[in-house]
Amino acid sequence: MHRTLLAAFKQKFMLKPYILITLGIAALTAILNALGFAFDAVNVALIYLFPVLFSAVYWGLRPSFYAAAAGVLAFDYFFVPPFLSFTVEDLRYVLSFGVYLAVAALTATLAARLKQQLHLAERREAHTAALYTLSRQMTAIGDIQVLLGNVVSQVAETTLSPVAVYLPDAAGELALTARSAGNDGFGEGEAAMAVARWVHRRSRPAGRGTGELREFPGLFVPLYTEERIYGVLAIRLEQGGGELTADSRRLLEAFAGLAASAIARLKLSEEAKLAQLTAESERLRTAILDSVSHELRTPLATIIGSATGLIDGDGMFTPADRIELLVTIRDGALRMNRLVTNLLGMVKLESGMLQLRRNWCDAGDMLGVVLAQVEDFRQQRHIQVKLPDPVPYFRGDELLLEQVLINVVSNAIKYSPDGSKIVIEVWQEGPWIRFSVTDEGVGIAPADIDRVFDKFYRGRTTGGVTGTGLGLAICKGIVEAHGGTIAAEAHRTKGAEIRISLPAETADLPNLQEEEEETL
Amino acid sequence: MTTTNGARILIVDDEPQIRKLLKVTLKAHGFDILEAEAGEAGVYQASIGHPDLIVLDLGLPDVSGMEVLKRIREWTSIPIIVLTAKEREEDKIAALDSGADDYVTKPFGMGELVARIRVALRHAGNAKSEPVLHLGRLVIDLAQRLVELDGNRVKLTPTEYELLKILASHAGKVITQRQLLQQVWGGHHHESDSHYLRIYIGHLRKKLEEDPTRPTFIETEPGIGYRFLLQEPLG
Repeated sequence: MHRTLLAAFKQKFMLKPYILITLGIAALTAILNALGFAFDAVNVALIYLFPVLFSAVYWGLRPSFYAAAAGVLAFDYFFVPPFLSFTVEDLRYVLSFGVYLAVAALTATLAARLKQQLHLAERREAHTAALYTLSRQMTAIGDIQVLLGNVVSQVAETTLSPVAVYLPDAAGELALTARSAGNDGFGEGEAAMAVARWVHRRSRPAGRGTGELREFPGLFVPLYTEERIYGVLAIRLEQGGGELTADSRRLLEAFAGLAASAIARLKLSEEAKLAQLTAESERLRTAILDSVSHELRTPLATIIGSATGLIDGDGMFTPADRIELLVTIRDGALRMNRLVTNLLGMVKLESGMLQLRRNWCDAGDMLGVVLAQVEDFRQQRHIQVKLPDPVPYFRGDELLLEQVLINVVSNAIKYSPDGSKIVIEVWQEGPWIRFSVTDEGVGIAPADIDRVFDKFYRGRTTGGVTGTGLGLAICKGIVEAHGGTIAAEAHRTKGAEIRISLPAETADLPNLQEEEEETL
Repeated sequence: MTTTNGARILIVDDEPQIRKLLKVTLKAHGFDILEAEAGEAGVYQASIGHPDLIVLDLGLPDVSGMEVLKRIREWTSIPIIVLTAKEREEDKIAALDSGADDYVTKPFGMGELVARIRVALRHAGNAKSEPVLHLGRLVIDLAQRLVELDGNRVKLTPTEYELLKILASHAGKVITQRQLLQQVWGGHHHESDSHYLRIYIGHLRKKLEEDPTRPTFIETEPGIGYRFLLQEPLG
């Protein structure tokens, strides 16, 4: 207790200005004496005002009064006859001393006040600048850790004190979330945590300079907006005075308010995102369940039905019937296989497991593979391929792109009548390789144009054609992973067209030298 | 048919359903069947059962199918057809590069598997080198480096000829891109070289096929390589 009192005393009456003033006046006296100003008392008195002004500007009121007193004493002792004595020969000098002291006091007060106002204005400007910087940063930040880091460093920089922020963790327990750099352990420990929890619970500031827990060295301010409390900001005010001025208190509250509203903004957007995600996944789950249960159960029913029919009534069927049933089993299984492939593809796309392996692709070769794949399935439709010469090469994952083309061509087959024509066209247009698949089928309703690429969305014109609405969604995912685009164009009368554009990326095409002029 | 009759096939697969399906169908097609439900047992059966061909599942419970393939290849060159789930292209390529003769993906059509088995057995049967390959409409004279399509001479560049020779002399079998690059261009090569392969295959198709998008000679195995389609000998 004694020690802190002494320290407080030292802080309040710092000895350094008084020593400097004493030395200054002594030096001034010596110089004036040496220069022989002894008989020019008015000038000397004016010169003695100088240290008074100086100390008023640099050290404030008390040192300047001290300088005035010391000045009068020195003036009296050295320059007022009889010299080297405090006695005064002419009593009028006493009046002069009085006037001198009054002038000194007045100027000192004015200078000190001016100085204080300047200091205040500077501080206010710094605070405003700091608040402005912080508020500007707050709006641009989308990550809570970065945001807290900024708040902490900004507050610490402005107040020159260690700062800590507490936020509730996932379990709702308050935890130390951010600390200013060079913080020597402030904010850690059970005591600090207890204060933080107290503040968090009551949404009221506590610690030094407040009505609560004032013996604690730090000041704890709640971060709250009108609706809720988000955390606690703690600051240890020791350097720079210890006493918390109303001004810095206001600044801290402004910082806390800013930080709270920024945290609120982030939390709200996080919650909104989560809510949207939950709703979306809920919708998807329902769609998947509906579609999977229908799409899997239908072929399963035909498979089980046909197989049990064959087992139970072995003798009843003609060979043609048996073949019929067996074909049904095979087709059901193939249909299930398509669905499972698409579902797995979707899962891969969604979970980010899809990795592109970019190889050189030959559009003609790819179409060859696609045609071979849909060969059994196309029945009587005529598939016409229009390829440019030379056939364009480009970089892409050929397997995935083939899957895209197979899906698109299968759709064209599914939604067009037997005997109609399907045209597949490939051409290069600037930096793009374009694929177009046109059919003469039912087409796409204009309202569905954009939505046909949504997961589990099925157009209105699909009628009785089975499907899950996954194929085109997967196509879109794959094409976009390649940096390309896929779009549908509707011709209600003459079918639909799907257009795929992929970046040509022919820049780094290895140069194929025509090494072989000679042929066999 | 005569070459396949009585051929003994070893099935290495851990799924009883698949084994049963294979056993029933392949027996119906006139093959003798040996079974193994795991990798170690497969290697053992391969060494004591004297199979003519092995159908090997890549996903086995004890040792991986790849390991089984490598161990069997240490001492025999009997045809091995790999059975695999479609998802993993790398596995198929690795299996073919390590000496598998062909692959069939699950789910598979029985007819396709039987056809592949026949091709592999036939290939193993006449592995002796012939100077002239008769492949339906195409005739390749290996001694004179001559290629004829429907009796007309086809002019090929040396690279095109080399590619055709490798594919045709392994007719019916998948040759991986890596194998082709290695055999035609030799030495080391990197991924972007697959571009050369595509261009030369394109040239070959232009010279041989009527419609390059509906190839009848050189078929693309997506992501893996190429296969010279086996032309059924007339009569």
